[in-house]
Amino acid sequence: MTATLETALLSTSDTAVELSGVRKVFGHGSSAVVALDGVDLKVKPGEFVCLLGASGCGKSTLLNIVAGLDGATSGDLQINTSRPAVMFQEPALMPWLTAARNVELALRFAGVGRLARKRRALELLELVRLGDVADKRPHELSGGMRQRVALARALASTTVSADGSPALLLMDEPFAALDAITRDVLQSELLRVWETTNTAIIFVTHDVREAVRLGQRVVLLSSRPGRVVREWDVRDSSDEVLGEINTHLREVISGHAS
Amino acid sequence: MATPPDTLDKVGAGLDALDVPTEAHKPPFWRRFLKTGVPPLIAFALLLGVWQALWASALLPEFQLPAPVNVWNELVRSVSSGEAFGILWTSLHRAVLGFLAAVLIATPLGLLIAKVRVVRAAIGSLLTGLQSLPSVAWVPAAILWFGVTPSTIYFVVLMGSVPSIANGLVAGIDQIPPLLPRVGRALGAGRFASARHILLPAALPGYLAGLKQGWAFSWRSLMAAEIIATSPQLGTGLGQYLHNGSSLNDINMVIAAIFLILLVGIGIELLLFRPLERAVLRARGLTGAL
Repeated sequence: MTATLETALLSTSDTAVELSGVRKVFGHGSSAVVALDGVDLKVKPGEFVCLLGASGCGKSTLLNIVAGLDGATSGDLQINTSRPAVMFQEPALMPWLTAARNVELALRFAGVGRLARKRRALELLELVRLGDVADKRPHELSGGMRQRVALARALASTTVSADGSPALLLMDEPFAALDAITRDVLQSELLRVWETTNTAIIFVTHDVREAVRLGQRVVLLSSRPGRVVREWDVRDSSDEVLGEINTHLREVISGHAS
Repeated sequence: MATPPDTLDKVGAGLDALDVPTEAHKPPFWRRFLKTGVPPLIAFALLLGVWQALWASALLPEFQLPAPVNVWNELVRSVSSGEAFGILWTSLHRAVLGFLAAVLIATPLGLLIAKVRVVRAAIGSLLTGLQSLPSVAWVPAAILWFGVTPSTIYFVVLMGSVPSIANGLVAGIDQIPPLLPRVGRALGAGRFASARHILLPAALPGYLAGLKQGWAFSWRSLMAAEIIATSPQLGTGLGQYLHNGSSLNDINMVIAAIFLILLVGIGIELLLFRPLERAVLRARGLTGAL
Protein backbone atom coordinates (compact mmCIF):
# COMPACT_ATOMS: atom_id res chain seq x y z
CA MET A 1 0.00 0.00 0.00
CA THR A 2 2.70 2.49 0.94
CA ALA A 3 4.95 3.54 -1.87
CA THR A 4 8.58 3.73 -0.94
CA LEU A 5 10.48 6.72 -2.20
CA GLU A 6 14.09 6.63 -3.19
CA THR A 7 15.71 9.38 -1.21
CA ALA A 8 19.34 8.58 -0.86
CA LEU A 9 21.19 10.01 2.08
CA LEU A 10 24.63 10.39 0.57
CA SER A 11 25.44 13.77 1.99
CA THR A 12 28.61 13.88 3.99
CA SER A 13 27.43 16.73 6.15
CA ASP A 14 25.60 15.85 9.33
CA THR A 15 23.53 19.04 9.35
CA ALA A 16 20.72 19.72 6.93
CA VAL A 17 20.12 23.27 8.08
CA GLU A 18 22.26 25.52 10.21
CA LEU A 19 21.25 28.96 11.41
CA SER A 20 23.65 31.05 13.41
CA GLY A 21 22.87 34.43 14.89
CA VAL A 22 19.96 35.03 12.56
CA ARG A 23 18.39 38.41 13.16
CA LYS A 24 15.41 39.92 11.41
CA VAL A 25 14.19 43.49 11.80
CA PHE A 26 11.05 44.81 10.13
CA GLY A 27 10.77 48.52 9.43
CA HIS A 28 13.27 51.28 10.12
CA GLY A 29 14.18 53.73 12.86
CA SER A 30 11.91 54.10 15.85
CA SER A 31 9.12 51.98 14.36
CA ALA A 32 11.44 49.04 13.76
CA VAL A 33 10.31 45.70 15.18
CA VAL A 34 12.84 43.02 16.02
CA ALA A 35 11.20 39.76 15.00
CA LEU A 36 14.20 37.47 15.49
CA ASP A 37 17.18 38.20 17.66
CA GLY A 38 20.18 35.93 17.28
CA VAL A 39 18.57 32.57 16.60
CA ASP A 40 20.86 29.53 16.46
CA LEU A 41 19.41 26.27 15.21
CA LYS A 42 20.80 23.06 13.78
CA VAL A 43 18.70 20.42 12.05
CA LYS A 44 20.16 17.04 11.12
CA PRO A 45 19.21 15.30 7.88
CA GLY A 46 15.99 13.38 8.36
CA GLU A 47 15.30 15.00 11.71
CA PHE A 48 11.83 16.19 12.77
CA VAL A 49 12.06 19.47 14.66
CA CYS A 50 9.08 21.38 16.01
CA LEU A 51 9.34 25.13 16.51
CA LEU A 52 7.02 26.07 19.30
CA GLY A 53 5.96 29.55 20.33
CA ALA A 54 3.11 31.93 20.98
CA SER A 55 1.99 34.38 18.34
CA GLY A 56 4.53 37.06 17.55
CA CYS A 57 7.52 34.88 18.27
CA GLY A 58 8.67 35.08 14.67
CA LYS A 59 8.37 31.37 13.98
CA SER A 60 6.79 31.99 10.59
CA THR A 61 9.45 34.59 9.84
CA LEU A 62 12.13 32.06 10.70
CA LEU A 63 10.53 29.53 8.38
CA ASN A 64 10.29 32.05 5.56
CA ILE A 65 13.97 32.84 5.93
CA VAL A 66 14.91 29.16 5.71
CA ALA A 67 12.57 28.82 2.72
CA GLY A 68 14.31 31.70 0.97
CA LEU A 69 11.07 33.68 0.72
CA ASP A 70 12.48 36.32 3.03
CA GLY A 71 16.00 37.53 3.75
CA ALA A 72 17.58 37.77 7.20
CA THR A 73 18.78 41.19 8.36
CA SER A 74 21.98 39.62 9.63
CA GLY A 75 23.32 36.21 10.57
CA ASP A 76 24.18 33.05 8.71
CA LEU A 77 21.99 30.47 7.03
CA GLN A 78 23.39 27.28 5.61
CA ILE A 79 21.29 24.68 3.85
CA ASN A 80 22.81 21.36 2.77
CA THR A 81 19.65 19.95 1.25
CA SER A 82 17.84 20.17 -2.03
CA ARG A 83 15.39 23.08 -2.47
CA PRO A 84 13.29 23.30 0.70
CA ALA A 85 9.58 22.67 0.27
CA VAL A 86 7.05 24.80 2.10
CA MET A 87 3.57 24.03 3.36
CA PHE A 88 1.37 26.81 4.66
CA GLN A 89 -1.61 26.89 6.96
CA GLU A 90 -3.83 27.06 3.89
CA PRO A 91 -3.39 24.41 1.22
CA ALA A 92 -3.08 27.18 -1.43
CA LEU A 93 -3.72 24.77 -4.28
CA MET A 94 -4.25 26.28 -7.72
CA PRO A 95 -8.05 26.17 -7.97
CA TRP A 96 -8.05 25.62 -11.74
CA LEU A 97 -5.85 22.51 -11.63
CA THR A 98 -6.74 18.97 -10.61
CA ALA A 99 -5.01 17.39 -7.61
CA ALA A 100 -2.58 15.56 -9.89
CA ARG A 101 -1.83 18.71 -11.90
CA ASN A 102 -1.18 20.66 -8.73
CA VAL A 103 1.47 18.15 -7.73
CA GLU A 104 2.83 18.12 -11.27
CA LEU A 105 3.21 21.91 -11.19
CA ALA A 106 6.01 21.60 -8.64
CA LEU A 107 7.76 19.05 -10.88
CA ARG A 108 7.25 21.23 -13.95
CA PHE A 109 9.04 24.14 -12.28
CA ALA A 110 11.89 21.75 -11.53
CA GLY A 111 12.08 20.86 -15.23
CA VAL A 112 10.92 17.25 -14.95
CA GLY A 113 9.70 15.73 -18.23
CA ARG A 114 6.03 15.15 -18.97
CA LEU A 115 5.80 11.40 -18.48
CA ALA A 116 8.03 11.33 -15.43
CA ARG A 117 5.93 14.14 -14.01
CA LYS A 118 2.71 12.19 -14.38
CA ARG A 119 4.17 9.05 -12.84
CA ARG A 120 5.79 10.82 -9.92
CA ALA A 121 2.67 12.92 -9.15
CA LEU A 122 0.52 9.80 -8.97
CA GLU A 123 3.14 8.09 -6.81
CA LEU A 124 3.08 10.97 -4.34
CA LEU A 125 -0.71 11.12 -4.30
CA GLU A 126 -0.72 7.39 -3.53
CA LEU A 127 1.66 8.11 -0.69
CA VAL A 128 -0.90 10.44 0.92
CA ARG A 129 -3.65 7.96 -0.08
CA LEU A 130 -5.29 10.23 -2.62
CA GLY A 131 -4.64 8.20 -5.77
CA ASP A 132 -8.39 7.86 -6.30
CA VAL A 133 -9.10 11.57 -6.42
CA ALA A 134 -6.16 12.58 -8.62
CA ASP A 135 -8.56 14.02 -11.20
CA LYS A 136 -10.66 16.04 -8.76
CA ARG A 137 -10.26 19.76 -8.45
CA PRO A 138 -9.54 21.40 -5.07
CA HIS A 139 -13.12 22.60 -4.58
CA GLU A 140 -14.31 19.00 -4.81
CA LEU A 141 -12.06 17.90 -1.94
CA SER A 142 -12.42 18.34 1.80
CA GLY A 143 -10.07 20.56 3.81
CA GLY A 144 -8.03 17.61 5.05
CA MET A 145 -7.73 16.13 1.57
CA ARG A 146 -6.59 19.49 0.17
CA GLN A 147 -3.92 19.75 2.82
CA ARG A 148 -2.72 16.25 1.88
CA VAL A 149 -2.52 17.27 -1.78
CA ALA A 150 -0.47 20.25 -0.59
CA LEU A 151 1.78 17.82 1.28
CA ALA A 152 2.24 15.72 -1.84
CA ARG A 153 3.04 18.88 -3.82
CA ALA A 154 5.55 20.01 -1.21
CA LEU A 155 7.21 16.59 -1.28
CA ALA A 156 7.33 16.79 -5.07
CA SER A 157 9.24 20.04 -4.91
CA THR A 158 11.78 18.85 -2.39
CA THR A 159 12.63 15.32 -3.42
CA VAL A 160 13.25 15.94 -7.10
CA SER A 161 16.94 16.72 -6.89
CA ALA A 162 19.00 14.07 -8.63
CA ASP A 163 22.20 14.69 -6.73
CA GLY A 164 20.95 12.75 -3.74
CA SER A 165 21.08 15.60 -1.28
CA PRO A 166 18.63 15.12 1.59
CA ALA A 167 15.23 16.71 1.44
CA LEU A 168 13.83 19.43 3.68
CA LEU A 169 10.19 20.16 4.38
CA LEU A 170 9.10 23.39 6.09
CA MET A 171 5.62 23.42 7.56
CA ASP A 172 3.93 26.54 8.90
CA GLU A 173 1.06 25.40 11.14
CA PRO A 174 -0.29 23.21 8.37
CA PHE A 175 -3.03 21.57 10.43
CA ALA A 176 -4.15 24.59 12.46
CA ALA A 177 -7.25 25.23 10.35
CA LEU A 178 -8.53 21.65 10.43
CA ASP A 179 -11.04 20.03 12.78
CA ALA A 180 -9.73 17.86 15.62
CA ILE A 181 -10.37 14.43 14.08
CA THR A 182 -8.90 15.38 10.72
CA ARG A 183 -5.90 16.92 12.43
CA ASP A 184 -5.36 13.72 14.40
CA VAL A 185 -5.47 11.63 11.22
CA LEU A 186 -3.19 13.99 9.32
CA GLN A 187 -0.62 14.00 12.11
CA SER A 188 -0.30 10.23 11.91
CA GLU A 189 -0.27 10.51 8.10
CA LEU A 190 2.59 12.99 8.30
CA LEU A 191 4.57 10.75 10.66
CA ARG A 192 4.12 7.84 8.26
CA VAL A 193 5.21 9.94 5.27
CA TRP A 194 8.19 11.24 7.23
CA GLU A 195 9.26 7.69 8.11
CA THR A 196 8.97 6.55 4.47
CA THR A 197 10.69 9.54 2.87
CA ASN A 198 13.37 10.35 5.42
CA THR A 199 12.85 14.06 4.91
CA ALA A 200 14.07 16.58 7.46
CA ILE A 201 11.08 18.54 8.72
CA ILE A 202 10.86 21.88 10.49
CA PHE A 203 7.33 22.12 11.80
CA VAL A 204 6.00 25.39 13.22
CA THR A 205 3.14 25.17 15.70
CA HIS A 206 1.67 26.83 18.78
CA ASP A 207 0.20 23.54 20.03
CA VAL A 208 2.40 21.84 22.62
CA ARG A 209 0.62 18.51 22.28
CA GLU A 210 1.12 18.50 18.51
CA ALA A 211 4.77 19.44 18.87
CA VAL A 212 5.46 16.63 21.35
CA ARG A 213 3.53 14.05 19.36
CA LEU A 214 5.23 14.79 16.04
CA GLY A 215 8.73 16.02 16.76
CA GLN A 216 11.93 14.35 17.85
CA ARG A 217 13.00 17.69 19.24
CA VAL A 218 10.93 20.67 20.38
CA VAL A 219 12.45 24.15 20.24
CA LEU A 220 10.69 26.84 22.25
CA LEU A 221 10.94 30.41 20.96
CA SER A 222 10.27 33.53 23.01
CA SER A 223 8.11 36.33 21.66
CA ARG A 224 9.16 39.81 20.49
CA PRO A 225 11.99 39.40 19.89
CA GLY A 226 12.12 35.72 19.00
CA ARG A 227 14.96 33.85 20.64
CA VAL A 228 15.52 30.17 21.36
CA VAL A 229 14.49 29.70 25.00
CA ARG A 230 14.98 25.98 25.45
CA GLU A 231 15.04 22.67 23.62
CA TRP A 232 13.66 19.29 24.60
CA ASP A 233 14.37 15.87 23.21
CA VAL A 234 10.91 14.35 22.98
CA ARG A 235 11.65 11.05 21.24
CA ASP A 236 10.37 9.08 24.21
CA SER A 237 7.88 11.68 25.21
CA SER A 238 6.24 11.46 28.60
CA ASP A 239 3.49 13.51 30.16
CA GLU A 240 6.07 15.21 32.38
CA VAL A 241 7.85 16.73 29.38
CA LEU A 242 4.52 17.88 28.03
CA GLY A 243 3.76 19.59 31.33
CA GLU A 244 7.22 21.11 31.51
CA ILE A 245 7.03 22.57 28.02
CA ASN A 246 3.57 23.91 28.76
CA THR A 247 4.84 25.64 31.89
CA HIS A 248 7.68 27.27 29.99
CA LEU A 249 5.40 28.40 27.17
CA ARG A 250 3.05 29.99 29.72
CA GLU A 251 5.98 31.76 31.36
CA VAL A 252 7.07 33.16 28.01
CA ILE A 253 3.57 34.42 27.29
CA SER A 254 2.83 35.86 30.74
CA GLY A 255 6.11 37.77 30.57
CA HIS A 256 4.31 40.07 28.14
CA ALA A 257 1.37 40.78 30.46
CA SER A 258 2.72 43.90 32.14
CA MET B 1 -1.21 9.34 21.38
CA ALA B 2 -3.31 6.60 22.90
CA THR B 3 -4.93 5.68 19.60
CA PRO B 4 -3.12 2.91 17.73
CA PRO B 5 -2.18 3.82 14.14
CA ASP B 6 -4.38 1.11 12.58
CA THR B 7 -7.49 2.65 14.06
CA LEU B 8 -6.44 6.11 12.88
CA ASP B 9 -5.93 4.79 9.36
CA LYS B 10 -9.46 3.45 9.42
CA VAL B 11 -10.76 6.77 10.73
CA GLY B 12 -8.88 8.50 7.92
CA ALA B 13 -10.35 6.19 5.31
CA GLY B 14 -13.79 6.78 6.81
CA LEU B 15 -13.33 10.55 6.68
CA ASP B 16 -12.29 10.32 3.04
CA ALA B 17 -15.30 8.20 2.19
CA LEU B 18 -17.56 10.75 3.85
CA ASP B 19 -15.78 13.65 2.22
CA VAL B 20 -15.71 12.44 -1.37
CA PRO B 21 -18.32 14.54 -3.15
CA THR B 22 -21.33 12.72 -4.50
CA GLU B 23 -21.88 13.32 -8.19
CA ALA B 24 -25.08 15.20 -8.78
CA HIS B 25 -26.71 13.59 -11.80
CA LYS B 26 -27.73 15.86 -14.64
CA PRO B 27 -31.44 16.45 -15.14
CA PRO B 28 -32.82 15.32 -18.54
CA PHE B 29 -32.65 17.69 -21.50
CA TRP B 30 -36.33 18.64 -21.56
CA ARG B 31 -36.26 19.63 -17.89
CA ARG B 32 -33.22 21.84 -18.38
CA PHE B 33 -34.94 23.41 -21.39
CA LEU B 34 -38.07 23.97 -19.32
CA LYS B 35 -35.99 25.75 -16.67
CA THR B 36 -33.71 27.92 -18.82
CA GLY B 37 -35.26 28.07 -22.29
CA VAL B 38 -38.92 28.66 -21.58
CA PRO B 39 -38.83 31.80 -19.35
CA PRO B 40 -37.12 34.02 -21.97
CA LEU B 41 -39.54 32.75 -24.63
CA ILE B 42 -42.49 33.67 -22.42
CA ALA B 43 -40.97 37.10 -21.74
CA PHE B 44 -40.52 37.65 -25.48
CA ALA B 45 -44.09 36.58 -26.20
CA LEU B 46 -45.39 38.97 -23.53
CA LEU B 47 -43.38 41.81 -25.03
CA LEU B 48 -44.84 41.08 -28.45
CA GLY B 49 -48.31 40.98 -26.94
CA VAL B 50 -47.89 44.40 -25.29
CA TRP B 51 -46.50 45.82 -28.52
CA GLN B 52 -49.43 44.42 -30.54
CA ALA B 53 -51.92 45.80 -28.02
CA LEU B 54 -50.29 49.24 -28.08
CA TRP B 55 -50.38 49.24 -31.85
CA ALA B 56 -54.04 48.11 -31.87
CA SER B 57 -54.98 50.92 -29.49
CA ALA B 58 -53.70 53.37 -32.17
CA LEU B 59 -52.36 55.81 -29.56
CA LEU B 60 -49.37 56.50 -31.80
CA PRO B 61 -49.43 57.05 -35.57
CA GLU B 62 -48.31 54.18 -37.76
CA PHE B 63 -45.02 55.87 -38.77
CA GLN B 64 -43.95 55.93 -35.13
CA LEU B 65 -45.22 52.59 -33.90
CA PRO B 66 -45.44 49.94 -36.60
CA ALA B 67 -47.36 46.68 -36.35
CA PRO B 68 -45.20 43.75 -35.29
CA VAL B 69 -46.19 41.90 -38.44
CA ASN B 70 -44.89 44.73 -40.67
CA VAL B 71 -41.49 44.61 -38.97
CA TRP B 72 -41.52 40.85 -39.38
CA ASN B 73 -42.27 41.26 -43.09
CA GLU B 74 -39.37 43.70 -43.46
CA LEU B 75 -37.07 41.16 -41.77
CA VAL B 76 -38.32 38.36 -44.01
CA ARG B 77 -37.85 40.57 -47.08
CA SER B 78 -34.27 41.46 -46.24
CA VAL B 79 -33.40 37.89 -45.34
CA SER B 80 -35.00 36.31 -48.42
CA SER B 81 -33.37 38.83 -50.76
CA GLY B 82 -30.04 38.04 -49.11
CA GLU B 83 -29.58 41.70 -48.16
CA ALA B 84 -29.55 40.87 -44.43
CA PHE B 85 -26.61 38.50 -44.77
CA GLY B 86 -24.52 41.08 -46.59
CA ILE B 87 -25.33 43.69 -43.95
CA LEU B 88 -24.61 41.32 -41.08
CA TRP B 89 -21.37 40.19 -42.66
CA THR B 90 -20.15 43.76 -43.20
CA SER B 91 -20.74 44.68 -39.56
CA LEU B 92 -19.76 41.41 -37.95
CA HIS B 93 -16.43 41.01 -39.70
CA ARG B 94 -15.54 44.59 -38.75
CA ALA B 95 -16.50 43.99 -35.14
CA VAL B 96 -14.58 40.72 -34.94
CA LEU B 97 -11.44 42.14 -36.58
CA GLY B 98 -11.60 45.23 -34.40
CA PHE B 99 -12.15 43.12 -31.29
CA LEU B 100 -9.22 40.80 -32.07
CA ALA B 101 -6.95 43.79 -32.65
CA ALA B 102 -8.15 45.24 -29.36
CA VAL B 103 -7.29 41.97 -27.56
CA LEU B 104 -3.79 42.02 -29.05
CA ILE B 105 -3.23 45.61 -27.92
CA ALA B 106 -4.99 45.46 -24.55
CA THR B 107 -3.45 42.24 -23.19
CA PRO B 108 0.19 43.39 -23.01
CA LEU B 109 -1.04 46.83 -21.99
CA GLY B 110 -3.02 45.34 -19.08
CA LEU B 111 -0.05 43.20 -18.00
CA LEU B 112 2.19 46.27 -18.01
CA ILE B 113 -0.25 48.34 -15.97
CA ALA B 114 -0.82 45.54 -13.48
CA LYS B 115 2.83 44.64 -12.93
CA VAL B 116 4.78 47.88 -13.48
CA ARG B 117 4.12 50.45 -10.80
CA VAL B 118 5.21 53.49 -12.85
CA VAL B 119 3.01 52.55 -15.78
CA ARG B 120 0.03 52.09 -13.48
CA ALA B 121 0.61 55.48 -11.87
CA ALA B 122 1.03 57.11 -15.28
CA ILE B 123 -1.87 55.74 -17.30
CA GLY B 124 -3.98 53.62 -14.95
CA SER B 125 -6.58 56.28 -14.22
CA LEU B 126 -6.49 57.56 -17.80
CA LEU B 127 -7.51 54.11 -18.98
CA THR B 128 -10.35 53.95 -16.47
CA GLY B 129 -11.42 57.42 -17.58
CA LEU B 130 -11.42 56.37 -21.21
CA GLN B 131 -13.81 53.59 -20.27
CA SER B 132 -16.43 56.11 -19.23
CA LEU B 133 -15.94 58.23 -22.36
CA PRO B 134 -18.58 57.20 -24.91
CA SER B 135 -16.66 56.10 -27.97
CA VAL B 136 -19.12 58.01 -30.20
CA ALA B 137 -17.26 61.06 -28.99
CA TRP B 138 -14.29 59.89 -31.08
CA VAL B 139 -16.27 59.75 -34.35
CA PRO B 140 -16.03 63.44 -35.31
CA ALA B 141 -12.31 63.54 -34.56
CA ALA B 142 -11.70 60.26 -36.38
CA ILE B 143 -13.52 61.54 -39.49
CA LEU B 144 -11.28 64.61 -39.50
CA TRP B 145 -8.16 62.45 -39.08
CA PHE B 146 -8.93 59.50 -41.34
CA GLY B 147 -11.83 60.67 -43.50
CA VAL B 148 -14.90 58.49 -43.90
CA THR B 149 -12.90 55.30 -44.30
CA PRO B 150 -12.71 51.92 -42.56
CA SER B 151 -9.81 53.35 -40.53
CA THR B 152 -12.24 55.69 -38.81
CA ILE B 153 -14.49 52.80 -37.90
CA TYR B 154 -11.67 50.63 -36.59
CA PHE B 155 -10.23 53.52 -34.60
CA VAL B 156 -13.55 54.08 -32.85
CA VAL B 157 -13.95 50.36 -32.15
CA LEU B 158 -10.46 50.16 -30.64
CA MET B 159 -11.00 53.22 -28.45
CA GLY B 160 -14.17 51.56 -27.20
CA SER B 161 -12.87 48.12 -26.37
CA VAL B 162 -9.16 48.41 -25.46
CA PRO B 163 -9.78 50.11 -22.08
CA SER B 164 -12.36 47.48 -21.04
CA ILE B 165 -10.15 44.54 -21.88
CA ALA B 166 -7.03 46.03 -20.29
CA ASN B 167 -8.94 47.03 -17.15
CA GLY B 168 -10.45 43.56 -16.90
CA LEU B 169 -7.02 41.99 -16.98
CA VAL B 170 -5.70 44.45 -14.38
CA ALA B 171 -8.65 43.70 -12.08
CA GLY B 172 -8.12 39.97 -12.61
CA ILE B 173 -4.46 40.22 -11.63
CA ASP B 174 -5.18 42.50 -8.66
CA GLN B 175 -7.62 39.98 -7.25
CA ILE B 176 -5.21 37.03 -7.21
CA PRO B 177 -4.74 35.87 -3.61
CA PRO B 178 -1.12 36.82 -2.74
CA LEU B 179 -0.52 33.33 -1.38
CA LEU B 180 -0.64 31.77 -4.86
CA PRO B 181 2.38 33.57 -6.38
CA ARG B 182 4.14 33.00 -3.05
CA VAL B 183 3.54 29.27 -3.32
CA GLY B 184 4.86 29.50 -6.86
CA ARG B 185 8.06 31.06 -5.58
CA ALA B 186 8.37 28.42 -2.86
CA LEU B 187 8.00 25.76 -5.54
CA GLY B 188 10.82 27.34 -7.51
CA ALA B 189 8.96 29.20 -10.26
CA GLY B 190 10.92 31.93 -12.02
CA ARG B 191 9.34 35.21 -13.13
CA PHE B 192 8.27 33.90 -16.50
CA ALA B 193 7.06 30.51 -15.26
CA SER B 194 5.12 32.25 -12.53
CA ALA B 195 3.37 34.54 -15.05
CA ARG B 196 2.60 31.67 -17.39
CA HIS B 197 1.49 29.04 -14.88
CA ILE B 198 0.13 31.06 -11.99
CA LEU B 199 -0.66 34.74 -12.71
CA LEU B 200 -2.39 34.35 -16.08
CA PRO B 201 -4.57 31.34 -15.19
CA ALA B 202 -5.42 32.90 -11.82
CA ALA B 203 -6.46 36.14 -13.55
CA LEU B 204 -8.52 34.35 -16.19
CA PRO B 205 -12.00 35.01 -14.71
CA GLY B 206 -11.35 38.76 -14.53
CA TYR B 207 -9.75 38.75 -17.97
CA LEU B 208 -12.73 36.92 -19.41
CA ALA B 209 -15.11 39.45 -17.86
CA GLY B 210 -13.00 42.18 -19.48
CA LEU B 211 -13.15 40.40 -22.85
CA LYS B 212 -16.91 40.13 -22.60
CA GLN B 213 -17.29 43.80 -21.81
CA GLY B 214 -14.73 44.64 -24.48
CA TRP B 215 -16.79 42.80 -27.07
CA ALA B 216 -19.96 44.64 -26.01
CA PHE B 217 -18.12 47.94 -26.24
CA SER B 218 -16.67 47.19 -29.67
CA TRP B 219 -20.11 46.22 -30.96
CA ARG B 220 -21.68 49.39 -29.57
CA SER B 221 -18.87 51.57 -30.87
CA LEU B 222 -19.13 49.96 -34.27
CA MET B 223 -22.85 50.70 -34.46
CA ALA B 224 -22.29 54.30 -33.41
CA ALA B 225 -19.54 54.75 -35.99
CA GLU B 226 -21.60 53.16 -38.76
CA ILE B 227 -24.65 55.31 -38.03
CA ILE B 228 -22.68 58.54 -38.10
CA ALA B 229 -20.05 57.80 -40.73
CA THR B 230 -21.86 56.66 -43.86
CA SER B 231 -20.43 56.65 -47.35
CA PRO B 232 -20.69 54.35 -50.37
CA GLN B 233 -17.05 53.45 -49.78
CA LEU B 234 -17.93 51.86 -46.45
CA GLY B 235 -20.64 49.59 -47.82
CA THR B 236 -23.82 48.87 -45.90
CA GLY B 237 -23.47 47.60 -42.36
CA LEU B 238 -26.17 47.38 -39.73
CA GLY B 239 -25.56 50.98 -38.69
CA GLN B 240 -25.97 52.28 -42.24
CA TYR B 241 -29.08 50.13 -42.67
CA LEU B 242 -30.52 51.77 -39.56
CA HIS B 243 -29.47 55.19 -40.79
CA ASN B 244 -31.10 54.53 -44.20
CA GLY B 245 -34.33 53.47 -42.50
CA SER B 246 -34.37 56.72 -40.58
CA SER B 247 -33.68 58.77 -43.73
CA LEU B 248 -36.48 57.01 -45.58
CA ASN B 249 -38.87 57.56 -42.64
CA ASP B 250 -39.36 53.78 -42.67
CA ILE B 251 -40.01 52.77 -39.07
CA ASN B 252 -40.25 49.10 -40.07
CA MET B 253 -36.67 49.18 -41.30
CA VAL B 254 -35.49 51.03 -38.17
CA ILE B 255 -37.04 48.54 -35.77
CA ALA B 256 -35.83 45.61 -37.90
CA ALA B 257 -32.28 47.03 -37.74
CA ILE B 258 -32.45 47.45 -33.96
CA PHE B 259 -33.75 43.91 -33.72
CA LEU B 260 -30.81 42.59 -35.78
CA ILE B 261 -28.27 44.53 -33.69
CA LEU B 262 -29.74 43.02 -30.52
CA LEU B 263 -29.80 39.57 -32.08
CA VAL B 264 -26.07 39.69 -32.79
CA GLY B 265 -25.34 40.87 -29.26
CA ILE B 266 -27.41 38.11 -27.67
CA GLY B 267 -26.13 35.49 -30.12
CA ILE B 268 -22.44 36.15 -29.40
CA GLU B 269 -23.11 36.17 -25.67
CA LEU B 270 -24.98 32.86 -25.77
CA LEU B 271 -22.78 31.06 -28.27
CA LEU B 272 -19.34 32.29 -27.23
CA PHE B 273 -19.00 34.05 -23.89
CA ARG B 274 -21.59 32.21 -21.79
CA PRO B 275 -20.12 28.71 -22.46
CA LEU B 276 -16.54 30.01 -22.02
CA GLU B 277 -17.36 31.71 -18.75
CA ARG B 278 -19.26 28.66 -17.54
CA ALA B 279 -16.32 26.34 -18.26
CA VAL B 280 -13.81 28.65 -16.54
CA LEU B 281 -15.93 29.26 -13.46
CA ARG B 282 -17.07 25.67 -13.10
CA ALA B 283 -13.47 24.42 -13.19
CA ARG B 284 -12.81 26.66 -10.16
CA GLY B 285 -15.93 25.61 -8.29
CA LEU B 286 -17.51 29.07 -8.69
CA THR B 287 -20.94 27.86 -9.66
CA GLY B 288 -23.01 30.39 -7.73
CA ALA B 289 -23.83 32.53 -10.76
CA LEU B 290 -24.67 29.66 -13.11
